[in-house]
Amino acid sequence: MNPITNFIAKIDQQNLWEKQLVVNRKEFLKVKGSVDTNLYFVVSGSLRIYALDDYEESIIRFGYKNNFIAALDSFISEKPSDLYIQAIKKTVVRVINKTTFIAFVESSPANTKIWNTLLENLIFQQMERERDILTSSPLERYKRVLARSPQLFQEIPNKYIASYLRMTPETLSRIKKS
Amino acid sequence: MVLHAETLLQDLIERTRKHINEAEKFKSLPTETLNWRVANDSWSILECFEHLNLYGDFYIPELKKRMESSKTQPKENFKSGVLGNYFAKSMLPKEKLNKMKTFKDKNPIGSTLDKTTMNRFIAQQEKILNLLDKSRAVDLNKIKTAISISKLIKLRIGDTFRVVVYHNERHILQANNVLNSKMPAPKQLN
Repeated sequence: MNPITNFIAKIDQQNLWEKQLVVNRKEFLKVKGSVDTNLYFVVSGSLRIYALDDYEESIIRFGYKNNFIAALDSFISEKPSDLYIQAIKKTVVRVINKTTFIAFVESSPANTKIWNTLLENLIFQQMERERDILTSSPLERYKRVLARSPQLFQEIPNKYIASYLRMTPETLSRIKKS
Repeated sequence: MVLHAETLLQDLIERTRKHINEAEKFKSLPTETLNWRVANDSWSILECFEHLNLYGDFYIPELKKRMESSKTQPKENFKSGVLGNYFAKSMLPKEKLNKMKTFKDKNPIGSTLDKTTMNRFIAQQEKILNLLDKSRAVDLNKIKTAISISKLIKLRIGDTFRVVVYHNERHILQANNVLNSKMPAPKQLN
């Protein structure tokens, strides 16, 4: 059993989930300007986290089955954030609020350790993502992400992948063909 | 009535999030269902949303203009005005949706509508979210906006936001009522 599965099983056993939500395609868990300190565990489906300015959407992250997702800025600061969380297809998530979750994490050294591992992984992923964004060649950006998360290309429609890769859908389709 | 400004904004944002989700739900239904009406003088689902769009066309630019030209500083609290509070509360649907008069220029009945109405509504809600977000930088008490029904009255912008969002709530409930009277609830809609 990998650490995260174990972690989830414990939350299940202790009945700490506040609720389970079904979010239909294109519906929002969170919108710009709201405070959201929940942590969501994706049971099925997929979601995207993005920011929207006056001109375009920028996809920051995807969440698939068996991932934790959150509006991490709001989760940490407990303040409003700009992020949107939207279902890409019909998605089932379990919800745990921050207070309950932190109490759970701090309730045993084993839990704290798993949480630290998850956070370390997250920092690592964020650095990879930063490198993606700093990579100027669209082809190189594509190669990096493909090598790192082939699952993305199985689960997520091209138009969203293109946005995540900061290229037009046409460019992505050209790159995939070549 | 005094409200904590941030609490009010969180409530309006959360309501707007639910309104968008409702709109996405309706958008996924067949156009035929969306155009169906209970009686020939009552609104279809699309007409409920078109009515909201007509109001949005007035209020969104008005809210934007007043905020952009404002040099006010945000305040901790929002004190609702007497009229503003009255209008806002009258918009919120009562337990059994009460009927209200519609102004002629905001009555969409008989118009030919399709799903662009839904897309227009969703795009308007994103603008409202942006405006609510930006309103944290201004004084919700000091800025006044015009309202669509009278040239003589101005409302505090905090009340105008409430009027707009509560009004959406009212007609989305109406749209759900239309849907439920067409299809006697085979499964629960959320």
